[in-house]
Amino acid sequence: MFRFIHSSDLHIGKRFGNMPEDLRGRLREARHGIIARLAGQARDHDATGIVLAGDTFDSETPTPAMRRQALAEMADHAPLRWVLLPGNHDSLQAVELWNAVHAELPDNVMLADAPAPMMLAPDVALLPAPCTARRPGRDLTEWMDGAATPEGAIRLGLAHGAIQDFSEDAAASDVIAPDRAARAGLDYLALGDWHGHVAVNARTHYSGTPEPDRFKHDAPGEALLVSIAGRAAAPAITRVETGSFVWRTPSLQLLSGHDAAASLSALLPTGAVRRQALIRIMASGRVRLAGRTALAAAIANMAPDFAYLELDESALAIDCESEDLDLIDRAGALREAAQALLDESTDETRSGTDRAVSRAALVRLFSYCEAIGA
Amino acid sequence: MRLRALRLHNVKRFAGHGVAIENIGDGVNVLCAANEYGKSTCFEALHALFFQPHTGTPEGVRLLRPYSGGNPLIEADIVTVEGKYRLTKQFYGGKRASVIDLSSGRLLAQADEAEAFIAGLIRGGAAGPAGLLWVRQGITGIEKRSKSEEEGDKRVREGLLSSVQGEVDALTGGRRMADITARCNDELDRLVTSTLKPKKGGPYAAALDEHDGLLEEEQRLGAEVTALREALDKRRSTLKRLAELENADEALERRAAIAAAEAALEAARSHAEALKAAEAEAALAATRRDAAMLALQGFRTERESAARQRGQLTKAHALRDEALARRSAAMAESDRAMAEVQAAEQEERAARDLLARLDTALRARDAAERLADLRKRLEQAEEARSRIEDGEAALAVLAAPAQAVDELQALEVEIAGLRAAEAATLPSLRMEYQSDAAGAVTIDGKPVPHAQDQGFSGAVRLDIVGIGALTLRSNRPQQGDRAIEGAVARHRDLLASLGVDSLAAARQRQAAARDKAAELALARQRLNDLAPKGVPHLHADVMRLTALSTGDLELGADPDEARRQLALAEQRVARARNMARETLPLRGQAETAVTTAETACAVIAAELAGLEATLGPETTRDEKQRILADDMATQLAAYEASQARAAPLRKAAHDLSGAEAALRRTRAVHDAATQEASRLHVTLADLNGHIRARADQAVEENWHEASEKLALSAERLKRFEMEIAVLGRLRAALVAARSAARDLYLKPVISELRPLLGLLFDDISIVFDENTLLPHTVRRNGQDEDVVRLSGGMREQLSVLTRLAFARLLARDGRPTPVILDDALVYSDDDRIERMFDALHRQSRDQQILVFSCRQRAFSKLGGNVLQMNDWTPDRA
Repeated sequence: MFRFIHSSDLHIGKRFGNMPEDLRGRLREARHGIIARLAGQARDHDATGIVLAGDTFDSETPTPAMRRQALAEMADHAPLRWVLLPGNHDSLQAVELWNAVHAELPDNVMLADAPAPMMLAPDVALLPAPCTARRPGRDLTEWMDGAATPEGAIRLGLAHGAIQDFSEDAAASDVIAPDRAARAGLDYLALGDWHGHVAVNARTHYSGTPEPDRFKHDAPGEALLVSIAGRAAAPAITRVETGSFVWRTPSLQLLSGHDAAASLSALLPTGAVRRQALIRIMASGRVRLAGRTALAAAIANMAPDFAYLELDESALAIDCESEDLDLIDRAGALREAAQALLDESTDETRSGTDRAVSRAALVRLFSYCEAIGA
Repeated sequence: MRLRALRLHNVKRFAGHGVAIENIGDGVNVLCAANEYGKSTCFEALHALFFQPHTGTPEGVRLLRPYSGGNPLIEADIVTVEGKYRLTKQFYGGKRASVIDLSSGRLLAQADEAEAFIAGLIRGGAAGPAGLLWVRQGITGIEKRSKSEEEGDKRVREGLLSSVQGEVDALTGGRRMADITARCNDELDRLVTSTLKPKKGGPYAAALDEHDGLLEEEQRLGAEVTALREALDKRRSTLKRLAELENADEALERRAAIAAAEAALEAARSHAEALKAAEAEAALAATRRDAAMLALQGFRTERESAARQRGQLTKAHALRDEALARRSAAMAESDRAMAEVQAAEQEERAARDLLARLDTALRARDAAERLADLRKRLEQAEEARSRIEDGEAALAVLAAPAQAVDELQALEVEIAGLRAAEAATLPSLRMEYQSDAAGAVTIDGKPVPHAQDQGFSGAVRLDIVGIGALTLRSNRPQQGDRAIEGAVARHRDLLASLGVDSLAAARQRQAAARDKAAELALARQRLNDLAPKGVPHLHADVMRLTALSTGDLELGADPDEARRQLALAEQRVARARNMARETLPLRGQAETAVTTAETACAVIAAELAGLEATLGPETTRDEKQRILADDMATQLAAYEASQARAAPLRKAAHDLSGAEAALRRTRAVHDAATQEASRLHVTLADLNGHIRARADQAVEENWHEASEKLALSAERLKRFEMEIAVLGRLRAALVAARSAARDLYLKPVISELRPLLGLLFDDISIVFDENTLLPHTVRRNGQDEDVVRLSGGMREQLSVLTRLAFARLLARDGRPTPVILDDALVYSDDDRIERMFDALHRQSRDQQILVFSCRQRAFSKLGGNVLQMNDWTPDRA
């Protein structure tokens, strides 16, 4: 039985320049903290080590502090063994980085920096496919097909990259063959690059990042605990939580007349965990003017609880009935102005931007009216 | 409501009496009266009746009271839809208010009830709608007025409009609208300027700046990352190239190539040296062979030449001898000719000497003759000269300046004058003797003549014979004598200077001097004739001739014969010289021929001698020639042998320059490789330094961070832009709605005003100020003008028309109200007033209008019901 933690995309050193100033430091520190949390999970589950499938560092030039502190942290968790694979963010092109890592390499850390079998244990061979460049332009795992390993040894593949190319213009040449595990007779192919967990097939998994760094995946930070009984045995895979910050994008479905603020509170966690939560509420559906201003007020009210809280209302439509306009004014110039804005916001002949501006202007007018009282 | 009559008593100037305006009709009523007639008083009284409570004494009421005091009484008859009423108010003492129904004569109301009745007529006192229908003298309603008045009037207008068009606030949004607009503007102003440009120091401008800064930073860091990546790529390729260059096999190959090239070059070099030696040897042999050949040929030629020279020398000797003989003959002939010349010349010389002697004798003889004559002239000249000298000496003695004589004469005349004058003043005495006593009186012994006046000066003593001595004294002052003494002294000096004792003597001397001068001139003339060049010259001539005349004066031969002989001798000389000249060329030719011959002989002899010396003694010559021939044969053989040795070397020539080039090339390849390697090492060191510096600075993280910040900033900027767009849109909507509301709100009055304006002005429209609710700008011919800038006439016309429009509004609302114009058209010209009245008349079909004016003439022909002011005494009821 060989048991290890499969993780990837630690992106140590990421700066989070797009986050508020005071949050950046915490997010950055959390990435360093991953090492200890991964090690903790490995110890808890009796794993022998941690295999990192690329992008350990966020860039080719992490500061010496970042690099050394990360290696020191890994060394601190001996005898757990760490395997580092260069990914696209920290490819072999980063000669300085890897030279420095080589020079400072602790005993319990291995560099998977050449496409040649490495023995993790007498009966466990690791076939790494380190990224040679940011965009290698070919399937780096191809060599695994013909790679010889000792008879009866478990064959583990380790690679970093996409198995599918979603973009339209990029050539499909550097896409990893999804059936590489079958083709190369791998017992398990540990992949990195995708920040959410994906089970490509029974023997091929993306571990996802242990600490999320964006709203895209809406999944908690986790790693995979992989247990392989022996050559050709099916790997047993368990997902273990490792994240310290939660990045969520809950969707808030609203219907005209709903109490938007109440629906919102139901969506959000409560208590101290809010401090570790980054939330982007994806509002959609329809809302009345009053509901819209109430929602904005509720969010403004709650935001200080959270590490980060924002509302994406691009999919939210404003419903405006005559009684809503009555709240602005029953007649007269204000009513006329409100009516003109409302008409514009629903005028299909106008551009989307124009309509959005008119809608926002109407909301603003409404909020002013509320602010100064009837 | 319509007015029918107005009566007042004890009001202002009408102290103690009253006036009444009766028969006020519907339509236009005109009260024309001169100034100070009480029109305005009527107006004010009417105003007070309607708007001042009878109990109070505010400013308006106090002004009504006459100067002398008293209780103003005002009464008006009115007609409303309900009926006809008489309103009466008395202020101050006996203050009261009453309303009487005229149809029944019943007292309808009194005091406060009466006030309420009146208030009901005008709705709300001065602030009510009717208030604005009063247009007072000079007040056009557009000039600056006090704030409270302004506000009051405004409220009136608002009230009217509101009553017509609903609540103003409800229409325009009122306070809320203002608050919301202010909020919107505040928020917008925080971000942008009035022209929607980013506001300095505002958050939007800050976001823009931040974005620009980040963009720059991002680009800078991006460039650094690119530079780093490029450096890494370059290092990789450099390392690759270095590995190739420093590959051991290739280096070995390059070195072997160099060695081979060096060996080839060495072989080529040694062959080239051997060839060079053989060539040198062959060249030496050839030189020697040529030298031997030349020596033999030279010897042969010289021998032939010596033989030829000897023959020529013999010929030359013969030629020389012939020339010598010719020369001797020529010289003999020449000598003869020369002797003849000398003889002829001697003869000629003798003839010439003789002739010269004869000439000298002739000249001496001539000189002797001239000398005698000249000596005589010299004597005469000497004599003349001595005479001149004597004359000059004499003249010098006699000569006296002419003016001195004249002066002397003048002095004598003066003295005589002076004396005569003195004598005239002197005392005189006259002695007339008796016939017997003549001469009995003497002075100083001299008898005093008879009957002659005799002057005296000083004292005179008369000795009278027989009687005694009579002394006469004249004690006269001596003043006249001094002039005489001065003149006498000058006379004396002059005589002394002239050396004479009297004027006559002076004159004599003057004449003598003149004679002497004439004599001297004659003597000079003579000397000049005798010796025109002077006596010394004459002396010199005498000396010269004396010398000439000392020679032999004898001739001894005939000069003519001598001259002929000389000519003959000269002919002979010429002839002899010609002959001698003829012989000279012959002689020269002969001498030249001799010289030429001698030279030829010498040259040939010298050459021969040289050749003989070279050839050596005649006996050894054959032997010597044979030795030379042998030597030449030996050298030829040696030459051919050396050529045979060099030939094979030449054939087997090596390409030395090719070998050198090959060596150079192989060395260059090696050097280039070495240099490139060292250069690449330098580049590599540079790159390493560069990369290490950058890699440690976390450039990529910085770049990513900057990019993310930039994206965030861009997003924030977009939000600001959205905010600005939203606020801008909201503001535009608010402004548009409010202005639409205002238009709607002012619409009734504008629609009433438009036809009225059309009566007076062509193509004009009015924009109302939404705050004052009065005309604000006038649009004429497409141009906007502020009302305050319009002419006074136009302003008052506008003011009247505006009020008429408001009155029409009221009438339409079922509340007809009289419009009262108190001298409201002071600025307008007659034409305009006429048109204004057209407007008033048209208006007056359903509108009562009262016009008070002082312009009697202008208003007289305007029609309307003409009102009169009559005295009135109130009923003492």
